[in-house]
Amino acid sequence: MSSAVSLQQASHTGHDVDHGHEHHQSFISKYIFSQDHKTIAKQFLITGIIWAIIGGLFSVLFRLQLGFPDTTFPFLEDLLGHWAKGGKISPEFYYALVTMHGTILVFFVLTAGLSGTFANFLIPLQIGARDMASPLLNMLSYWFFFLASVIMMSSLFTQTGPASGGWTIYPPLSALGDASMGSKIGMDLWLMAMAMFIISSLLGGLNYITTILNMRTKGMSMTRLPLTIWALFFTAVLGVLSFPVLFSGVILLLFDRHLGTSFFLSDIVVAGKILPNEGGSAILFQHLFWFLGHPEVYIIILPTMGIASEVMSINARKPIFGYMAMVASLFAICILAFLVWAHHMFVTGMNPFVGSVFVLLTLLIAVPSAIKVFNWLTTLWRGNIRFTPGMLFSIGFVSMFISGGLTGIFLGNSALDIHLHDTYFNIAHFHIVMGVAGMFGMFAGIYHWFPKMFGRYLNNTLAYIHFWVTMVGAYFIFWPMYYEGLAGMPRRYYDYANWESFKMFGGLNEFISVVAIIVFATQLLFVVNFFYSIWKGRKVTTLNPWNANTLEWTTPIKPGHGNWVGEIPEVHRWPYDYSKDGQDFIPQDVPVGENETRH
Amino acid sequence: MSQHTISPEITFAPDHLGGTKRIWKTFYLLSILTIFELAIGLTIYNIHKGAHPNASLVLAFKGLVCILTLAKAFYIVSVFMHLGDEIRNMIMTIVVPLALFIWFVIAFLSDGNSWKNLRNTDAGSKPDTHLVAPAAKEPGQKD
Amino acid sequence: MSTTAIPTGTKWWNGGRSPFNASYGKVMMWYFLMSDAFTFGAFLISYGTLRFSENYWVDPNHVFSAFPFAEGMNLPLSFVSLMTFILIFSSVTMVLAVHEGHKMNRKAVEKYIFWTIIGGLAFLSCQAWEWTHLLTHQHEVWINGINGAAGHVELWNTTVSHNPFGPEVTINGHQYATPGPVAFGSYFFEITGFHGFHVFSGVIINLIMYIKTKMGHFDQRGHYEMVEKAGLYWHFVDLVWVFVFLCFYLI
Repeated sequence: MSSAVSLQQASHTGHDVDHGHEHHQSFISKYIFSQDHKTIAKQFLITGIIWAIIGGLFSVLFRLQLGFPDTTFPFLEDLLGHWAKGGKISPEFYYALVTMHGTILVFFVLTAGLSGTFANFLIPLQIGARDMASPLLNMLSYWFFFLASVIMMSSLFTQTGPASGGWTIYPPLSALGDASMGSKIGMDLWLMAMAMFIISSLLGGLNYITTILNMRTKGMSMTRLPLTIWALFFTAVLGVLSFPVLFSGVILLLFDRHLGTSFFLSDIVVAGKILPNEGGSAILFQHLFWFLGHPEVYIIILPTMGIASEVMSINARKPIFGYMAMVASLFAICILAFLVWAHHMFVTGMNPFVGSVFVLLTLLIAVPSAIKVFNWLTTLWRGNIRFTPGMLFSIGFVSMFISGGLTGIFLGNSALDIHLHDTYFNIAHFHIVMGVAGMFGMFAGIYHWFPKMFGRYLNNTLAYIHFWVTMVGAYFIFWPMYYEGLAGMPRRYYDYANWESFKMFGGLNEFISVVAIIVFATQLLFVVNFFYSIWKGRKVTTLNPWNANTLEWTTPIKPGHGNWVGEIPEVHRWPYDYSKDGQDFIPQDVPVGENETRH
Repeated sequence: MSQHTISPEITFAPDHLGGTKRIWKTFYLLSILTIFELAIGLTIYNIHKGAHPNASLVLAFKGLVCILTLAKAFYIVSVFMHLGDEIRNMIMTIVVPLALFIWFVIAFLSDGNSWKNLRNTDAGSKPDTHLVAPAAKEPGQKD
Repeated sequence: MSTTAIPTGTKWWNGGRSPFNASYGKVMMWYFLMSDAFTFGAFLISYGTLRFSENYWVDPNHVFSAFPFAEGMNLPLSFVSLMTFILIFSSVTMVLAVHEGHKMNRKAVEKYIFWTIIGGLAFLSCQAWEWTHLLTHQHEVWINGINGAAGHVELWNTTVSHNPFGPEVTINGHQYATPGPVAFGSYFFEITGFHGFHVFSGVIINLIMYIKTKMGHFDQRGHYEMVEKAGLYWHFVDLVWVFVFLCFYLI
């Protein structure tokens, strides 16, 4: 660690000299083992997109089972072999699919794919730095993520299949190798992949924090930072402080699996035989997991909040409403994220008194969340709105955040949670507020910064189709699940047709599955648009296509390593001077005029 | 502004002119604190050896050791790691996040305590035998 | 190095400089250590949680009472105090190395890093002896008979899955220990092992520092900041030991 830091430092002092112009670099050092933060961001993005396709495909597969439990699909046997004998997904593989869907989307897409992309891309560009504090560690961060991806991917091809204990890998399913098919080698690979992933997010997070603190250009005070940077800063803080706790949990779990310890195991009888483990507690693992797990959902949602704020202010041609309140609420969410983890465990046998403290702390989150929502709405209010695809996705994000977030207030009450836990109500809640909202924020960011990333535009027609189908489709998929959940339909069942009480939802499940397939197909449309536009999209011809204030638009259309050709611009104002003093926008590097009104 | 020998981000050359006196003083302090801790550890040992160990006395000594440990941690971080010499901004960004440990510790330990009660009372269905009476143990009976 | 008084009213946060007047490498090292503190914190807190969930816990004075070459003597806490002092002393030599580094005194830096490495190796050797002792030293343990079978005596060592430090019982006038809480051994080996791994990596880092100092790399660079960062790591290892010492040996 230390030696790497300082090696980098040596080259760092030479930075300012090298970076003004492009060197002739080999293909490998320019595109593969690149230390340029923009290239690393694109690597994260494209790896994330590949993972998103896989994770999405998995959800389509298990939706097929849920929507059409009595139908056989012969093509599934061609695709999955012994996991779908006779064209019907086996129960073991169904659980593996659910587990991998959660793991992939939460960690590999919405954590690494989202933070990795936008933190790497935006931080140096928007704060006015040539690169990250330590480009070498930044590159290693991607390659540890790549290694994690390879390990996780390889678990899909093992004889006994990938991990299947749910993405939360609760013991004893995850601790006992013989508990299920997915508890064998698949679980070990899962744990190793997560260890690599944690190292990656740690290297990334440390870099983001130090870069934001130390590398800001002259005049870029903390209160002049764009909200994206504030959001990414708090995201990195969350990651750096919470991932280590999961790391501890992973290590203890590996001990339980292979060295005969009993951290999470006690009083277990398997097939009439008492296991020798005693004294452990499965709830302990849940505590350790959710100490990460809860900050993790904010690691997903905070960057998208920042992206939405930025994109909405730019496209409403109005300053963001309540900048300091936005920063303060991000900070409050960041603190509360560490205090509320056990609201995921109300009914697991946790101390109910401690649970009631967690209820109080959990419901407090509604306050900063509401502040943010009101500020977004007031930013839009009487704005001169341009409905670009990025803007549409930002507004969609706010819609999802409201409708998904409100149901969180239901679930945060331990009394109501007795009824609602582990039902489709819960599924609908976290998919809307974390999954769909997170994806919407990510799409908003991609549509908005694609011109800066690749020097070309995405196709607008395809983008509008993508937005409307996804927006309507997402509500069609998840809204009915609230009703199913209120009626008591539990999650993680393989086949609901076997239960008299859930038979009536057969038609609804079928409907959800059909919409899910349509929405998934629309995402493929986006992927086509993305890769087509990288090479064939309309070229960007102006430096500042969105008329935005932030510093990334002062760089050349395709900035080289080092970002700015000459001096890094100095900053003289906050980034939200839109529609001010009769001017449409005033970029951050324009000095303050004599008669200018203060914001 | 003086030299930028280490890094361009450093505006003012840091002051390192102090002697080694402070380091040795801290070393003696840490040694004394450790010896104190050991003495308390041995006291607890001797209390346990007695016929009727005084539980609250043991608890008080254990609390004292915890405080001494925090004092040691303070001196290591502030003198050996030179955090005390950094500027206030930095000290705060390091120290404040550690406050998260307060709730971290309270929530975990109180939950552990609750599992013990649940186990002893069969999830509340019978009185806690460990609190009711020191029942005569069968020979060889394990707790 | 000349000293510049920091003017009051310096706008630390206005950009173009570090708000902490520190290089990014040092700031990064501090935040890495903070994150590592959460790893160790999670280990120690989960140890505490399981300890709180048990009715009986092991008396450390009873477990850690041996000293090398003093077989059969009851010397509670003595060996671990030796280990603690070794680590504290290696911390002192490390901070002296950093101090000499500021004065660009290469010979002195070499000397103090050398002694730090020796201290680290001594600590690791002590730990190896302690582990070996626990893993090989056997105690008589009374095992209850199950389903009416008679109880019997076995010889148990201390491992991650069992230990002989449970409450004592008297059978036919003999005092025997019973099986102790499993989590004690598990956490002891897991946490001291993880700490030992940190010490080991600290020794490796210091070895690299020693070689780099000897080769004059830091003199060429004009500063010994890398030694300072290695020192931060080493002190952190010492800091963690303070808490491990508290949680396993004292209370």
